[in-house]
Amino acid sequence: MGIISRGFRGRRQDGPPDRVPPGQYLTDDFPVLSAGPTPHTSLDEWTFTIQGGAEPVRWTWDEFRTLPSEEITKDIHCVTKWSKLDTGWEGVSVDTLLEAVEHEAEYVVAFCDGGYTTNLPLEDVTGGKAWVAFGYDGEPLEPEHGGPARLLVPHLYFWKSAKWVRGLDLRDEDEPGFWESNGYHLRGDPWQEQRYWGD
Amino acid sequence: MSTLELEVPGWSDHRAGQHLDVRLTAEDGYQAQRSYSIASAPGEPLAITVERLEDGEVSPYLVGEAHEGDRFEVRGPIGGYFVWDADEPERVLLVAGGSGVVPLMAMARHRARAGGEAPMRLLYSSRSLEDVIYREELETLGIDVVHTLTREQPPGWSGYARRIDDELLREVAFPASESPRVYVCGSTRFVDAAADGLVRLGYDPAWVRTERFGATG
Amino acid sequence: MMERTLDGNAVGGLLLELFGVELTAAPCVCGSCGAREEVARLDVYVDCPGVVVRCRHCGDVMITIVRGRERTWVDLRGTRGLELG
Repeated sequence: MGIISRGFRGRRQDGPPDRVPPGQYLTDDFPVLSAGPTPHTSLDEWTFTIQGGAEPVRWTWDEFRTLPSEEITKDIHCVTKWSKLDTGWEGVSVDTLLEAVEHEAEYVVAFCDGGYTTNLPLEDVTGGKAWVAFGYDGEPLEPEHGGPARLLVPHLYFWKSAKWVRGLDLRDEDEPGFWESNGYHLRGDPWQEQRYWGD
Repeated sequence: MSTLELEVPGWSDHRAGQHLDVRLTAEDGYQAQRSYSIASAPGEPLAITVERLEDGEVSPYLVGEAHEGDRFEVRGPIGGYFVWDADEPERVLLVAGGSGVVPLMAMARHRARAGGEAPMRLLYSSRSLEDVIYREELETLGIDVVHTLTREQPPGWSGYARRIDDELLREVAFPASESPRVYVCGSTRFVDAAADGLVRLGYDPAWVRTERFGATG
Repeated sequence: MMERTLDGNAVGGLLLELFGVELTAAPCVCGSCGAREEVARLDVYVDCPGVVVRCRHCGDVMITIVRGRERTWVDLRGTRGLELG
C-alpha cells in the first residue's frame, strides 16, 4: 500500500454491503467511460442484427421500437470500482430478441459502432438478465452513455454492457472481446470479484 | 489555484514542460491519481500549481486540506516530448489555454533563470482577468505576453477579447519563415484548434508540440 | 462528465513505470495505416477499464494497457514499431 495521505478520503460514499460488491465504492455520478470517440449513429442508419443462427435477423430502429419493452431499475457495477444503485432504464429484453432466431449457440459476442466487442455466455443474457436499452433515467439514452442503444447486463461488470451495440453474434465457443483479450475476466461477476484473468 | 512546494527525497532535477503524477491513498487503501505539470523551473524548489475543481476528488484535497508536513506519492519527472531546454536557439511561441499555462510558465521561468536569448512570446487565453494565473510575475520575465480574455473583460480593456482564431494567430505568432518552436497546452479542444490554426499559417506540424490537459479534479 | 480524449503525454508516467524509459518522444508506427507519430501525439483514452491508445490519423487501436492486481497486460498488436533513441 502507498503512503497514506492524512485527511484524504475521496468522494466515495458508504453503502449497504449487501448491495455493494467487494472492492467497489458508491457514486452519485454516472461517470462516462470510453475507449474511443463517441460514435453518432442516426436512427435512420441504425439496425440491430442477430447473426450466427439459422438466418440473420435484423431490425431497423422503427421495427425495434415496436417490440415489447420494459422499465427496469438495477444496480450497476463498473470494474473501475464505482457502483451506482437503483439506475433506471428502458429496454427490450434480449430474450425477446432471441425468440426471433433459431439457434443452438452457447455464447454471444456483442458488436458495436466504433468496433467494441464483448463476449458473454448465453445464460448470462437470457432468463430476464439482459436488455438492449434505449432509455436511461426517463430520457432517451445519450450518445455519451451508449445511445441510441446499449446492451445492459447489470449482474456482470459494466464493461459487458456494451455501448453503441449493433448486434449479437451467436457462437458455439467463448471468444474474448476487447477487454477480455487484454486481461479482463471472460465472465466478470462482481460478487465473485472476477475482474481479471485467473480471478 | 494554489501552488504547492514539494520535497521529494531522491528527486532528480526536471526539464521545463515535464509533469509528475501524484497518488493519494486513504486509510482504507482507496487510491486516486492525477498528473500535474511542474510549475517551477529546473533548479528552483519543486512546485506544482493545482486548480481546484469543485467536483474534483484530488484537487479539493490538495488545495483545501493538505498542509505542510503532509505526504503523498509522486512519480516523475515525466516527459521527453513536451520539454524545452534553454540552450535551444530558436525563438519560442507558447500558447496557453487556461491552466495549460503551467508547464509553459516553467519554460518562461527557466529561460529567465538561464539567461536565454532567443525571443519567447506567450499567447495566453483566459476567461477573464481574474482567471489569469501568475499575472504579475509574467510581466517580469522578459518575454512578450499577449492576453486574450474570452468571456469577460475589465473596463477599458484594449487587448484581445475572443477565442483564438486564424487572424489573432497571424497577428501574434512569429512568422512561419522564422521556424519557431511552439508549445501549446490547454484543453483538447483548445489545443487542437490552436495547432490547426498554426499549421494553416504555414507552421510545420513537427515544430508544434502539444499537450492536452483533461481536468477531472 | 464528458468523454475526454488526451494524448500520449498523459500516459508518460505509466510507460516510464512499465518500461523504465521515457517514451513520450518515441515515434511509433500505426499497424493499420502506417502513420508515424511520437507517442505524445497519439489519441489516448484513460477513462475506461484500462488505457487505450489510438492512431490520430485512422483511429485504430495501437496500444492497450490493463493493470491487473499483480500483472499488467500490454497489447501492442496495433503498433508496427517503436523507435527508441
